[in-house]
Amino acid sequence: MENRKISGFNTLHPAVLFTYFVSVVIVAMFCTNPVMLFLALIGGVSFFGVMKGAKLFFQDLCFYILMAVFIAIINPLFSHNGVTPLFFMNGNPVTLEAILYGVDIALMLVGVIYWCKCYSEVMTTDKFLFLFGKAVPKLSLVLSAALRFIPLFRRKLKEIRSVQSSLGLYEKKGMINRVTAELKVFSSLITWSLENSVDTGASMKARGYGLKGRTHFSVFTFRKRDLGYLICIIVLVGIVILGMSMGISDFKFYPEISEFNFGLKQIAVYISFGILSFIPFLSELWEVIMWKYSASKI
Amino acid sequence: MEILSIKNLSFTYPMLNTRALDSVTMTVEQGDFVVLCGQSGSGKTTLLKMFKREITPNGKCSGEVFFKGEPIKDIDDRTSAKKIGFVFQKPEQQIVTDKVWHELAFGLESLGYDSKYIRLRVGEMANYFGISSLFHRKTENLSGGQKQLLNLASVMAMSPDVLILDEPTSQLDPISAGDFIATLKRLNTELGLTIILTEHRLQDVFPIADKVAVLDNGKLIAYGKPREICRELKKHPVSAGFPSAVQIYNSTDISTDCPLTVREGRDFINNNFSKRKIEIRDTVPKTEIAVELKDAFFRYEKEGQDILAGTRLKVYKGEHFSILGGNGSGKTTTLKILSGILKPYRGSVFINGQKMNRKPLTEYSRMGIAMLPQNPETVFIKPKIIEDYIELCKIKGVENRDKKIAEITESLGIKGLMDKHPYDLSGGEVQRCALGKILLANPSIILLDEPTKGIDAYGKISLAKMLNKIKSQGRTIITVTHDVEFSAIVSDRCALFFDGDVLSNSVPQEFFSTNNFYTTSVSRICRDRFINAVTVDDAVSLIKEGGQYENKNN
Repeated sequence: MENRKISGFNTLHPAVLFTYFVSVVIVAMFCTNPVMLFLALIGGVSFFGVMKGAKLFFQDLCFYILMAVFIAIINPLFSHNGVTPLFFMNGNPVTLEAILYGVDIALMLVGVIYWCKCYSEVMTTDKFLFLFGKAVPKLSLVLSAALRFIPLFRRKLKEIRSVQSSLGLYEKKGMINRVTAELKVFSSLITWSLENSVDTGASMKARGYGLKGRTHFSVFTFRKRDLGYLICIIVLVGIVILGMSMGISDFKFYPEISEFNFGLKQIAVYISFGILSFIPFLSELWEVIMWKYSASKI
Repeated sequence: MEILSIKNLSFTYPMLNTRALDSVTMTVEQGDFVVLCGQSGSGKTTLLKMFKREITPNGKCSGEVFFKGEPIKDIDDRTSAKKIGFVFQKPEQQIVTDKVWHELAFGLESLGYDSKYIRLRVGEMANYFGISSLFHRKTENLSGGQKQLLNLASVMAMSPDVLILDEPTSQLDPISAGDFIATLKRLNTELGLTIILTEHRLQDVFPIADKVAVLDNGKLIAYGKPREICRELKKHPVSAGFPSAVQIYNSTDISTDCPLTVREGRDFINNNFSKRKIEIRDTVPKTEIAVELKDAFFRYEKEGQDILAGTRLKVYKGEHFSILGGNGSGKTTTLKILSGILKPYRGSVFINGQKMNRKPLTEYSRMGIAMLPQNPETVFIKPKIIEDYIELCKIKGVENRDKKIAEITESLGIKGLMDKHPYDLSGGEVQRCALGKILLANPSIILLDEPTKGIDAYGKISLAKMLNKIKSQGRTIITVTHDVEFSAIVSDRCALFFDGDVLSNSVPQEFFSTNNFYTTSVSRICRDRFINAVTVDDAVSLIKEGGQYENKNN
């Protein structure tokens, strides 16, 4: 993750990013309306695509398409609700409603997974720590120290293993010998990490850790642009949630599939959610265009 | 103005009878660069920790330490944390957080500054120390030198008045160590920062030090200007670590000023001696080949770079072969290939004439290969050294176990350490114990990875003696090191590893006297007059042999 592509959306303030991801994922999880789920899915997939590049994107996509097909098939096998039986299997009806509902769930799951993938790409630990560190400053330091320590631990484990294997520790075959050897290595690793933490503790103390009134520094600033995005997000998600709570975007599969309604209210909700899902993608796109434009001036 | 002073300070660790510090009295003036030296166990680190209240060890303490005239125990916590900076020995262990920027800000966060102030200080530090490009990086991905520089910068961010450093370069390669010391010099001259430092590499720090303090068994036996100390402690064991120029000077009875740097040393030699020459003798019998690499290729990743690119290497039975080279040149990888941990994807490895490419790891140790890793404490996985020894004997089926252990511990002088925990030993002691463990399997070829890392001058001398002893038992030794001075003393042949291949290889005298840059300081000092002299012993023997020296002026 060292050389992350600096992108437009990525550089927003963590609070804005967090609000954004939480709203999109929650809406996607609590709605069954296929139009909205489809918008969410396409928004997430396209954002992921711009971020990771074509090669990784397609490798990933194949897997999720298979997964979606699998879910869509599984549902009608277990759920026999619905009024339109297509055929019977082992004496149970396979209904059109159940199949479509399976497709709908698949849309939702894959969409949410993509959004979560985007989240973990964008919301790196330092951003997360920045957001929640203020509430629990001790915890955030512990997390940061743990994140520092885990790779160190892993590297040491590898080192000890390699040295010990050349000393013949793993020579004896068999499960039990193998396990006892690993246990020995692990226990020496624990001793090492205790020893290590004594040094780290001294270094923390030497730099004044434990003094009263510790503050919390971060490299993030809240700019005008962040405010703009935040207002946009809140307004859009407000419309969507209002619409959902008024039942405007309700959609039922059982016992009978509801009809699609394209009234003014519905369209307002769809458009709002559509814009919301495409904010990251559009902002990336905007960034590219802006860059092309300003680069042509240079 | 005096900034730190100690009056009659004595200190005893709990449960021990001997004093770690014994009536030490010294003053440090503002702006001084003080180097504290002494053999390991002389109380250097203990003394340094006395200056920094937060990490002062528990124990019986008498006497006083003053910071700017005030007893150090009376100053408030903030001042102590802020004004006295401390950098520890191990670069890795003192880093607390996962990001470089967070590490830089850590001390300032503790002091409770607001983000605006911290941002400015942190930016300032990143710029001054040239680490701005690392600012958003993860700390785990930095090199050792970068890590130690980060540690220095994050202490300096708190703008201390005194900087205390406990052997900060002992874990670094010579190039990073040189950079680090140059940075310290810059802090001292540009900012007038007071610096107190313990250090193995006296060669690099003596020329820039204002004062040198020497500790021996907890007593301060000398404190003064470097040149004076060099002359005063001519016979003391600590002189083994003095700069080469000083050591050469001390072997004569010329009473001009004591030279400290290579340049002064060269003038000293050129002014006082005529041209002499050391005959190069290649003593290695080139009969039996112990280890051979034939056009070996190796890389870590499928699409990565070749680390070994057609490496050819021949090491003869009974010789000590040193492979020198910079960081990341592939020295350690070569050693891992020879020990069977890694396998080349093309080319072949021969040990005692047998092709080893497809053989398992156990076969390598059966052929008599043993490796001492860079961090010797990884050799031990039990709470006592002796338990590890017994374990190895069981694994390898060593007969006459007790007799064998007794023999080895006797010859390495580690009998008294057998019941200790590996982490309670000093760097040199762990290494000797690790070497002992490896010798239990009676290997015929020993591979050493950076054996002088973290070891002081005196420890290096005893290590060299020990290696010579092991070699005289008919074993072959292959060392991989940065340490040119050490390899000049111990090796029969040296080679430079560069761009995936072993470049030149010849006896040290020839190897180092043909190199202009990658060579020992003695070679740099003496090359005009003493042809082929590369170690202090070489130079001293030429001086002795020459008898009368001719002074050019006469």
